[in-house]
Amino acid sequence: MTSTHPMLATATHDEASEQFFIRDLKSYLGEEIEPFQRRIAERLDPGEGHNRRVAALFERLHEQDAFRAWASVRRTAQEQLWSVVSASVERQSETLNDLARQAPALGSLTLDPSFRTPAYLAEHDVHLMPGGYQADGGDSEVSQGAIMDRGGAVYMLGRNGGLMNDVRGHTLAAHLFARFPNFAPSTILELGCGVGASAVPVARYFPHARFYAIDVGASVLRYAHARSAWLGADIHFVQGDAEHVPFADESVDLVFSCVLMHETSAEAIPAIMAECLRVLKPGGIVVHLEVPQRYDSMDLWGKIRGEVERVYNNEPCWQVAISTEYDAVLRAIGFEEVAVGYQSATPHAVPGAGGFSDTSQGVFRSWFVVSGRKPS
Amino acid sequence: MTKTALPRAPVAHQNPVEDRLLAMVSALAGELSVARERLDTVERLAEAGGSLRRDDIETYTPDEPASLARTATRKRLIARVFRPLRDDAERAAAVNR
Repeated sequence: MTSTHPMLATATHDEASEQFFIRDLKSYLGEEIEPFQRRIAERLDPGEGHNRRVAALFERLHEQDAFRAWASVRRTAQEQLWSVVSASVERQSETLNDLARQAPALGSLTLDPSFRTPAYLAEHDVHLMPGGYQADGGDSEVSQGAIMDRGGAVYMLGRNGGLMNDVRGHTLAAHLFARFPNFAPSTILELGCGVGASAVPVARYFPHARFYAIDVGASVLRYAHARSAWLGADIHFVQGDAEHVPFADESVDLVFSCVLMHETSAEAIPAIMAECLRVLKPGGIVVHLEVPQRYDSMDLWGKIRGEVERVYNNEPCWQVAISTEYDAVLRAIGFEEVAVGYQSATPHAVPGAGGFSDTSQGVFRSWFVVSGRKPS
Repeated sequence: MTKTALPRAPVAHQNPVEDRLLAMVSALAGELSVARERLDTVERLAEAGGSLRRDDIETYTPDEPASLARTATRKRLIARVFRPLRDDAERAAAVNR
């Protein structure tokens, strides 16, 4: 299996050391200090009877020096990650732009000069990445995509398919094989494709389909197009917003997303679901893959940790995304054969292997999925 | 491309000076870790009797045992520098109500 690709920003001796440092600092904060934060939270828990237990506890924790310092350094580590990765990408930006121009002639790129980034992405830097998904230096530059790809590999600490960051795509294909074994889409659309980390593996499982992928940022899309072409995938990237998909009614057989919902908004989630129904042909399939936690079944610390991510890592829609009753939403819109559950994470999808159940095996071991069919 | 990070929420009740100092300490720890690792590369190249040109340092790739030793050094450095935060959290966790 491929373990890297030509578009991935390289690291000098010292840049590699810097990235290892961030990785290990994040591990230290998570493994050596966070367990004590959990115990502090248990000590300060206002109790199950409290009508705003999580919010009250989050406030109480902020009265603790130890908690504030941990939250502060945790954020610093994330900012440091983008700082070192950005510097590394800027150093080699001309090389990366050239590599993008020299990519094999596969797929296409359609940018929209009048495109407006949705407010929920424009008003803060998601994951504290300066410039977010949408920053663009214009012309043929790919640096925001390069930063996102390299930073993602460090952020994931190698847990999601190493430098390829592609386990979610394989897992989504595994879900299609498990639930719709005879499904052979001729047109596929991914919403919120980012650098194409999931699009590339999904495209490989359906080599005869015409594959489209949309996202908001021109630089990220240029990078995604070059990255997928170098990996031999024939993918058509289009600048577009998942709430207003630039595709005709009944034009695709499969529409999917991977960890998109928690980066959107409470208003966007149902709007995106309705767009999926609109663009699907009758009998078409929708699949959305999300993080495997569900808010109701999280323990108290999990909820507090989510608050830390929401406020200090700019994940404003996190709680909504893992609380939404996706099966009810999809049925209400008009989808049939709707199912929600967990798909076992896999680096290679195999028809007939199943792997879909109603039990989560935990973070990075399985992913939450909702899928359904548009009535014929 | 110049990108300025958008404003971020302050950590509630934290003096922004503390936030900045922690960020500077983290950055310094990172710089020290990089310098320590570069010295390790120089030592290993010298030990192997090879040349110490910049190119040799830049292209050096540690083997598995060297990589494990460097990770252990890095983790020890992080544990030393950030120990006060860990100890403070441990004490706060142990306080009786």
